[in-house]
Parts: sequence; C-alpha cells; structure tokens
Amino acid sequence: MPRLAGLLFILASAVFSMAALSLALVPTLGRLPEPQITTEQNLAIVVSLSNPVENLSMAELRRIFLGERSHWPNGRRITLVMMEPGQPERAVVLRDICQMNETDFNNHFLHGVFTGEVLVSPKTLATPVGVRKFVFNVPGAIGYLRVSDLDSSVKAVRVDERGPEDKGYKLHVPPRSSK
Amino acid sequence: MNGQNKRARRPTLVGPAPLLDRVLALASPYNSSLLLLIVFLVVIVVGLFVVRDLHSTNVEAQKMYAGSVLGLHRIGELQYQAQETRRSTFYALTTNDSNLQLEYADQSREADRRVNEGIGEYLRQVHMPHEIEVGKRLQRDWSDYLSVRNEVLASILEGSTKEAVNLDLKGGVPSFERVRQDLEEIKRLYDQQASEQLANVAATSRRTIFRLIGVLGITLTLASTSVWAIQRSKMLGTIQLAKLQMEFVASVSHELRTPLTVISSAADNIADGLVGGKDQVKRYGLAIRNQCRQITELVNQILLFAATKDRKNRYILRPLQVSQIMDSVRDNTAELVEGAGFVVEQRIESGLPWVMGDLSALSQCLQNLIVNAVKYSGESRWIGIRAFLHDSGEQSGKEISISVEDRGMGIDRLEMPHIFEPFYRGAAVSAAQIHGTGLGLSLAKNIAEAMGGTLSVVSELAVGSVFTLRLPMVEKQELEMASVNSEGDPTIRK
Repeated sequence: MPRLAGLLFILASAVFSMAALSLALVPTLGRLPEPQITTEQNLAIVVSLSNPVENLSMAELRRIFLGERSHWPNGRRITLVMMEPGQPERAVVLRDICQMNETDFNNHFLHGVFTGEVLVSPKTLATPVGVRKFVFNVPGAIGYLRVSDLDSSVKAVRVDERGPEDKGYKLHVPPRSSK
Repeated sequence: MNGQNKRARRPTLVGPAPLLDRVLALASPYNSSLLLLIVFLVVIVVGLFVVRDLHSTNVEAQKMYAGSVLGLHRIGELQYQAQETRRSTFYALTTNDSNLQLEYADQSREADRRVNEGIGEYLRQVHMPHEIEVGKRLQRDWSDYLSVRNEVLASILEGSTKEAVNLDLKGGVPSFERVRQDLEEIKRLYDQQASEQLANVAATSRRTIFRLIGVLGITLTLASTSVWAIQRSKMLGTIQLAKLQMEFVASVSHELRTPLTVISSAADNIADGLVGGKDQVKRYGLAIRNQCRQITELVNQILLFAATKDRKNRYILRPLQVSQIMDSVRDNTAELVEGAGFVVEQRIESGLPWVMGDLSALSQCLQNLIVNAVKYSGESRWIGIRAFLHDSGEQSGKEISISVEDRGMGIDRLEMPHIFEPFYRGAAVSAAQIHGTGLGLSLAKNIAEAMGGTLSVVSELAVGSVFTLRLPMVEKQELEMASVNSEGDPTIRK
C-alpha cells in the first residue's frame, strides 16, 4: 500500500511537471526566431565597369590584396577596398586570399608602408553599399561583395576562370548573422 | 371736289444743314431706331476689337510668363545645380573619411543628374536655331565637365588629393567656366525674349487703351449725335406739319374764295338789275347752285377728314354689289367728268361677288380717285375704271379690285411714299398751280382701310397713274347671315 501511494505520487508529480512545462513553453512558441539561411554565399571580387580585367588568378589576387601590385594592365592605379575588421567578408579575404589573420595583415601593411614594399594601402568602408559605390566611382578600385549585394554598377571578375555563380568557385562567405 | 388733290409739295426746309435735314426728313419714320441701331453696331464692332486686343494682351502675358519667367527660373535652377555638382565634389576634398567622401560623391552625381534633366527640358522647349545651338553646346560642355569631375572624384576617393586638385585646375575650371558662359548666354536669350514680349504686351496695352478711349469717344459722339438728330427730326416734323397746315388753310381759303367770288358776282349782277329775262336768271341760279354745292363738298371733305382722324366716324357696313358702288360714283361724278370733256372707259366683270362696306364711304373714296384723275390728266381726257376679281395669294383668298387709271402727268418716284400723307402736295402739282387741300388720297386710304381693304398706286411720270382699291369679298356664310337678318338690322357698325 505505501508502495502504491508512492507510485501514484510519482505519477502525479510527473503529470504536473509536464503540464507546467507545457504552460511555460506556450507563450514562447509565437516568438520563435525565423529559420535562418544557413547556406554559404559566394564572395565576388568586384572592379569598375571601365576596368578591362575579366579574370584574376588566386595568386594575382593575393598580390593585389597584399598591396604588392600597384597598377592594372591599362595603367590605372589599383585602389584596394576593404570592409571594416570583424566583417565575415573581410575574414574570408584574409583567410582565403591573403592567407593571414587580422593581426598579420595589419602588420604586413605597417611594415610594407614603412619599407616601401607595399605600394597601395587599403581604403576601409563600413558597408557593402559603400564598397559598391566606391568601386563604381573609382575606375582602378577592387573590392569584394556577397553575390546578393551585386548590381549593375560594378563588375564581378572571374577567379581562376570561375565566376561567382559557377560551380567550384573558391571564395565562400558564411551567412550574415541576424541581429 | 377741289380739295382732293394729293400731289402737293412738301415745304422747302431751310436751315444750317439742309442736306442733313433732307436726310433726316427722309428717314424720319425710322430715325431714332435707325440711329440707335447704328450706334449699337459701331460700339459692338469697336468693342470686339478691344476684346480682341485684351485677349491678345493676355495671351502675350501668359507667353511671357511661360517662356521667359519660367525659363529664367529654370536657368536659375540649372545654375544652382551646376554649382552644387562642383561644390559637392569639393566637399569630398575636405575629409579623409571614405564613407563621407562617397556621400559627397552621391550628392554631386544627384546634382549633375538634375542638370542633365534641365538641359534636356530646355532643348525640348526651344525652337529657334540659335537657342538649340546654345543648348547643345551647353550639353556638350557639361558632359566635358562631368568627365573631369569623375576623374577628380576618383582621385579624391583614391586619396590623391593633390592629383584631384591638379585635375580640377587643369580641366575642371575651364570646362566649368564654359558651362557657366553657356548658362549666361541662355539667360541672356531669355532676358532678350522677355524684353521683346514685354514690349509687345506694353504696345498691345497702349493700343487697347487708345481703342477704349476711341470706343468711349465714338459712343459719346454717336449718342450725342443721335439725341441731337432725333430732337432735330422731331422739330422738323413739327415745323413741317405747321407749314402743311398753313398751306392747307391757304388752299382751303382759295378753294372757298373762287366759288364765293362767282356767287358774289352773280348776286351783284342780280341786285344791280343787270340780269334780265327768265333764261338768264335760270343760268345765274344754276351757277350759284353749282358753286354752293362745290363749297358744301369742300366743307364735307374737311369734316370727313377731321372725323376720320379723330376716329369719330362710324361706317355702316352691309353687303354691297360692285355695280351699286359704281352707279353711285358715276352719278356723283357725271357732271364733273362730262363738264371737263372726259371719256370714261368702264369695264366691270360680270358676276362679281358682293363686298362688305359703307356705300357712301366707298363712293366717296372712288370719287376722290376720279376727281384726281380729272385734275391731273392734262390733255389726255381719258379715265379708265375697271372692277375685277383678284386673287390676293394670301389666306384671305380673293378680293375685289376697283382701279382708276389716267394717262396724265404721273407721280415722281421720290414722292410716292408721301402721297397718302394728309396735306401732302407734290412739287410739280404746286408748280402747275393745280388747286387742292392734300386730303383726298389720305381720306381715300383711310376709308379703304376702314372697309378692311387697301388702296395702292402704280405710277410713272408723264405716262399716268393707276390707283387700285381692293376690298375683301363677302363669304357665302356672311351673305346668308346678312340676308337672314335683313328683316332686322343687316348692318355692321364699325
């Protein structure tokens, strides 16, 4: 009899606990976050529409983004556009193109400018829209944008003969974190 | 009856403006309406010119506003936006922040977009070759400046401030100066157009003012002239009537004096014992009786006219046969006609319908016409009298026409409208010293109209005249009604 009473108590406690848990969860159901796009996007390398360059190899890109190449084949001065530190696009460029972390990249430019080995110092812009406008206004500019941020005011160059829409494209950027 | 002559002379008008008086006299029945109509028409015509001028001024003013004022406004806006394009580019030089530099670049591009729109709008609106040429030059120069501006912006964004400044000094300043000059030239063109249109508006306004003054002047002049003319016409009418009446009195006196002289002479001769023998006394008696009858006829005629004018006369209308009327006329005029040695050719259609009228009045009417024919036939001594059925062509249907024709002196065309006026006597009649009172035709016409008929005349100078009395025929029903009532009073009083 005491064992039956104990069993009933345990059962009742379980039912009560489940009910309480259900009641606690119900208000939160309506506020569930929307499902995020979890798939990666390609990161396009963009230049001005007037720039005749259509394709760049990864090695050329590395030299450009490290400031070791100063002019385009048409003679225009190269202007490097970077997004502010902390942006996933910048991280991808540092990792996949420059093969450096943020500290190494900064040190490279500090050292390069001091020694004269680096010919171009990057312009830092806060938003993808700023990057797009900068590239549009400066014929020798080069920057990077997510494919979803592209429009007709700039031109995406191919990297190792692959465009950002092509399969096997090497530059990928993680999805934007929601705020 | 001597008083029946109508061919009398209108009295000669004397005054400072005889020609105008003649015109006024001719137009006297219509003068006030005619003059007011002329004034109205003239004012309307000149007023239309003034309205057209006002409309023209309004259109010029609107064109000036649309073409020049709005044009100058557009040029002012273009100048501002061009300056804004350049100013925003310079703002980008003042900072090293690339984000801020991009903002200024955006502002500069927005301003240059508005400039391009303004130039396009200008080119769409101009039509003169010179304006189009200046517009296209501005478009070209602005495009050149934008090329330099883009290079300058690129240099600024690249961080090459010195290069940007050099580029601007080398290419930007001269190309922008050309743009500024183009804009100034367009502004000058608009100023010139505005001046021309302003001059047009001023000229049209002046013209309108002069025309308005003219309209007022013409209106006042015409109104004054009209009032003067109407007053003068009335005055002339009064004078004319007074003269006619004086002539009438003189004429009547003359008509009375002649028989009175005969009677007086006859009486003297009898009183002095110069008349002896039964035959001579009888001849004197007949002469006195004839002259007395003549005087009585004259007085009756005057009384009849006065009664007609005062509408006191009462006619007794009853169905009459034309032959009855003609017999009465013949009896009353036989002595005169035969005495004057006239041949009367009378043709009366047989079976003519009856007419409604007063026998005595109708007889008097036709007597007047016959007396006139005797007086004015001259040497021809022939009178034609016809009575026939006439189709009037109107709803009233057929009429009885009785015409009296002579081959005498005829009536002047200018005098025709006046011969039925009381006391009127034609110039030729007066010159021929044919006596009369100027009442006969007026009386005849009044009688004809009182019987529901008309009296008309066709005449040619030196050929003769035909006076035609037309009377409505009696309808069968009227005739039957009259015969039914014949036991009572078959007459109608009018």
